[in-house]
Formats: sequence, C-alpha cells, structure tokens
Amino acid sequence: MSQFTAVQVPKAETVVISLTAPNQVKLSGTITQKDPAHDLAGLFKALHTAAMADKLAEVRADVSGLTFVNSSAIRLFVDWATWVKNERGHRYTLRFVTSRNVTWQKTSFMALMSLAKEVLAIEHVT
Amino acid sequence: MERAENSHIPKKPGPYPLVFMRFRPAWAYIDGIREFGRFFCQTTFGTQELADRACVVIQETLENAVKYSSNSADSELELSIESDGANIEFSISSRPDASHLSSLREELIGIQTLDPEQAYLAAFVRASNEPEASARLGLARIRYEGGVELSMKEESGGRIRITATGKL
Repeated sequence: MSQFTAVQVPKAETVVISLTAPNQVKLSGTITQKDPAHDLAGLFKALHTAAMADKLAEVRADVSGLTFVNSSAIRLFVDWATWVKNERGHRYTLRFVTSRNVTWQKTSFMALMSLAKEVLAIEHVT
Repeated sequence: MERAENSHIPKKPGPYPLVFMRFRPAWAYIDGIREFGRFFCQTTFGTQELADRACVVIQETLENAVKYSSNSADSELELSIESDGANIEFSISSRPDASHLSSLREELIGIQTLDPEQAYLAAFVRASNEPEASARLGLARIRYEGGVELSMKEESGGRIRITATGKL
C-alpha cells in the first residue's frame, strides 16, 4: 500500500491541497499566513518520509496554481529540497510543476534549482 | 499586457504621494493592502509585471513591519507609493522594537554587498544550512523579485522608514 497516498492532508485557510496521484501533490491558492509551517511543514515532511518509504523515483509537486506566497512559505520548499538533497542512498527527484505566468515561481524556483539541482527538476506549464 | 487606456502615470512628482495609508500593525490587513497595491499598480501603470513586483514589495515589507513593531500606541504603519514617471517608490514607516533595529541594519548591509540575484541565492543557501533559524529570505526577495533597491532611514521617535525604489 502506498504510504504517500495515505498521508493526511491538512485543511488550510487559503490553499487547497490534494494528493492527485501516488507520487503527486497539488497546491493552489495563496500562502501568506504568519507561520505557514504550522499547516504545511508537517505535510511536506510526511510526504518526504512516505516517498522514501515507497522508494519513489519521483515526486511531483504541482504548485502552478499557487498565485502568491510569502517568503516563509518559500522557505518550506527550501526545506523540502534540502531534505531530499541530504538523503544518503536512495533518493527521489523532486519535480516542481510551475507556471510561467506566475512571477514568484519563476524567480524562486530558479534560485531553488541552483541550491539542489542534483535532486530537483522544474517543469513549466501554461 | 497593454497599458491601461486611462493611465494616470504622473509626469513629475506631485506634492502628495499617489497612495498614502496609515494603519495599525495587524497581520490581518496585509493581504488586503497587498491586493490593493496590485490593483493600483495594474490600473495606474497598466503592467502586470509591475503589479506583481508591487505585491512582493508590499507583502514582505509589511510582514517585517508588523512582526517587529513595538507595542506602543504610536506604532501605526504608513505606506506610500510615489512615482516620477520613470521610477516607482514604495515607502514604509514603522516603529520597530529597538532590539530588531540592529539586525535589520546588518541584513540590509549584507544583501547590498551582492547583486540582487546573488543575494537571493545566498539567502537560499543560508536558509538551507540553518533549518532551525528564521527564513530571512524577505529582503533579498524584495530586491530581486521586486526589482528595487532598498534603503533605511532612522527618523525621530524611534521610527524607521524603509524605501524601495525601482524602474517603472
């Protein structure tokens, strides 16, 4: 049984989160609360742990519908990329599905890519 | 995107800012003020790109101002937006807790030793290396994604003014 799809998705005020495949999470809306880690850090950690347990080759994080986030939320993506980068032995590719039309995604995922290019992939849609 | 037909871009600075707002330092106001800034820049200057930059500048500067404001009765925030037809200036005045001032000064000096892209990349590396520390991505993000330069002026009464200036 997939541990990834068994991860409990929290309800957050301004962001809709769904697991849309055995290796895909989709987030849409905005993330601008004071401490987004309260809702999302645990989710990202659980998805990472489940992906490792499932020995997934790739995890797709579709953020193309996230129209705006604050820097505290960007930090959560930095943390996720760092967890994958720091794994020894098996590790998966973390593929962010992004939109060319959303400014923060262009600048921030470019920066994230430079940080952990060996474990990240960026896919552009629209 | 094409410029708005009823563009209100001033030819030279007027006696008053295009926008001036004064409000209590409450997190609940930030989303609304950011989205007003997006609407204002889109409507006045007619470019989505500038509207997106305005959102980053307003969100991150107001978050910092709200987080570190003192609890005194005179700690209202002031946001103004001005333009001379070639440049845009966002100015945020606040009364921070004294303990925050030196770290803010250091952070501003630090990011200004690098070009905006390099400073943003360096902030990512620092965040990655210090998982337990606060993100501290905001100021570098403002410069890079907002396309502005930042300056800080200390004013009377313990207030500070952060100014973000960039091309239209």
